[in-house]
Amino acid sequence: MADAVMTLEMVEASQVGLKALGAGLAVGLTGIGAGVAEMGIGSAAVGATAENKDLFGLVLLLTVIPETIVIFGLVVALLLLF
Amino acid sequence: MLAPREMSRLLIAAQKDQMEPVIAELFRRGVFHIEDFVDQGKEGFEGFKIGMPLPGAGEQSSKLIKIRGIENTFMLDPGVFEPKVKVETSRMKDLIEKELPVVEQMVEDLVGDRSKLEARKKGLEDKIEELRPFTAVPIGLDLLQGYRTQTVFAGFVARNAEIPIPHETYFQPSKEGNLIVVVAPLEQREKVERILLDAEFRPISIPKEQGAAAPRIDEYRAEIADVEQQMKTVDTRIEEVKLNHSEFLLACDEFISAQVKKNEAPLRFATTNLAFVAEGWVPSSEVKEISDSLSEKTGGKVFVTELPIDIKEHAPPVEYQNPNFAKPTQMLMDIYSRPRYTELDPTLLVAIVFPIFFGFILGDLGYGLILLALSLGLRKFFKGEEGVMLLKVLRNAAISTIIFGILYSEFFGFELPWPPILPSRHLNIGGEGEGAGAAIPELLIITIWIGIFHITVGRILGIINHARQDHGSHRTKAILANLGWLMVMWGLLIAIWSAFPIPYMPNLTSFPTVAFGLNIATLIGGIMLILGILFIAMENTLEIVEIPTIVSHVLSYARLMAVGLSSVAIALVVNFIAIGMIIEPQLENLTPVGVVIVIFGILVLVIGQVLNLLLGIIGGGLHSIRLHYVEFFTKFYKGGGDKYNPFGMKRKFTED
Repeated sequence: MADAVMTLEMVEASQVGLKALGAGLAVGLTGIGAGVAEMGIGSAAVGATAENKDLFGLVLLLTVIPETIVIFGLVVALLLLF
Repeated sequence: MLAPREMSRLLIAAQKDQMEPVIAELFRRGVFHIEDFVDQGKEGFEGFKIGMPLPGAGEQSSKLIKIRGIENTFMLDPGVFEPKVKVETSRMKDLIEKELPVVEQMVEDLVGDRSKLEARKKGLEDKIEELRPFTAVPIGLDLLQGYRTQTVFAGFVARNAEIPIPHETYFQPSKEGNLIVVVAPLEQREKVERILLDAEFRPISIPKEQGAAAPRIDEYRAEIADVEQQMKTVDTRIEEVKLNHSEFLLACDEFISAQVKKNEAPLRFATTNLAFVAEGWVPSSEVKEISDSLSEKTGGKVFVTELPIDIKEHAPPVEYQNPNFAKPTQMLMDIYSRPRYTELDPTLLVAIVFPIFFGFILGDLGYGLILLALSLGLRKFFKGEEGVMLLKVLRNAAISTIIFGILYSEFFGFELPWPPILPSRHLNIGGEGEGAGAAIPELLIITIWIGIFHITVGRILGIINHARQDHGSHRTKAILANLGWLMVMWGLLIAIWSAFPIPYMPNLTSFPTVAFGLNIATLIGGIMLILGILFIAMENTLEIVEIPTIVSHVLSYARLMAVGLSSVAIALVVNFIAIGMIIEPQLENLTPVGVVIVIFGILVLVIGQVLNLLLGIIGGGLHSIRLHYVEFFTKFYKGGGDKYNPFGMKRKFTED
């Protein structure tokens, strides 16, 4: 430890930085989560649509269900930042 | 409004000799949706059989196949072809007998000629391929074959081979493969072969040609050019025939298709030896007209009656009934599923709300104008019905984008000369922005309000749907459950408002406290929440696990802001990179190199904006429609109605 003394500005700045980091993590990780979840559903959905075109509406619905996770992440990020 | 066209169930019965006039009249009117008779002991239809096609159906079908074959070679699509004049049906019969075989013969000959030429070209190309390796060999090809005492090997080897017997060899190393030609005595053939095989010899056949390979190739090339010339002539002839006869062919197609449809109609009727019965649907407004015209055409020898509709047993076909501006949106509905007959048809709501969502997301005057121009300009190229409908949806969305662009004060990401009327979306990209920057919390709350209202409307429609479709205790429970969902959502909201003051939302924190430090609003909210959960549980206890979706669905509308902001951010970044970082520094002190850099900057600007517009269309369109399909429709809409598909056809190339 060279100099452990932190000025008030440094504390504030690191708070802002950590908030930004948190916001980034919130969107990024939820994005990965949604992607992983949609991966399986999406490929099954394409297969099902190829078999029966009428299923399109239903499979679209199923495919986008995990998207909500990102929206949650986004809301959390925005609440952190603003 | 909000309901499909009203249908009536008709039963038409007559003697078999009246079948033809009845079918002809039904076809001409084009409003009767035939319900196919299924030969499976239907009650009241014992002894009936599926009818036989009228005479001539088979012959016409085979004619149709021929015509469709020609249409295929010409790559004609009746959907996109615009006829100049319509042919009268009275003339069609004559034309089909006389002119059609001539055209057919002509096309057959031309196509035959073309495929012959193609085969010849292919053969010549193969010969050239065979000759190509021998261009390096310095002797004529006739010297490489036809020996009685010698044997000739030609082919590629991995490396040059030492052959320990008297022979002559020619070796030409190259990248593609080392060519080797060996002439050796016939009796030593096996030995030479083995040695060559050790060197990974791949034999090639020696073309049966005279003289050196290179001039032969040139000769063949000239021949190919000649064949290609001939092919071009045939192609222009085909093009000519296509130009002159497309319309006629499509008219024949249409005319014969109509004949076939009419002749095959009895396959969908119930018949006895002497009579036939046809059941089906017509729009209620057409019932009188069609009954009158049928009895007129048959001289009163037909029995037409309206049957009572039992919704449980018969599902009437569904025909949309919407004001003109909402019609293109029917396409978006059909992608999901056509509404059932008894269900509310939400097309009108989608037609209003979809463009608003799209505009809210994209909201940029510049992009809106480009989209509007695209949707109007592309109309010439999109001739199919679906394409036109899609363009109209895009047009509505573009108009909304323009309006929102003005409200947001955005023009390709730049600010217009007035302050935004809606909360600003101008982010501080590159730290160069002026003013307060984007008002993100306000936008977030607006989108959540939109979500609350949209979902509330969905639930109310759900209540109406259940009230109309269900019966008995199930009906009450379903209605209460929908009410329960509404109460949980609003109860939750009231509870939140009474605890935290939120901008742009009612502030209920100052309400008088009643008990346990809770104010009256919290209490009301809590009671609504609990009652709501009870109502939901009464219909189906398992549904309780779905309650968190209330939050997720409302928050899902935040995408309206999120997707929009991302496109604003991309526009701002593109502008900043292109103008702020590339163009402006050069303009201060313009040099010849600077001009090139400025042009490069403009290129970056244009490509970036075009990409962003594409992303905006995809993002704006997909997310808006997704909010409808997932968040809105799941509250009330089932779909699964049959398309109203009346017997008859839209005539494009022929007329009476």
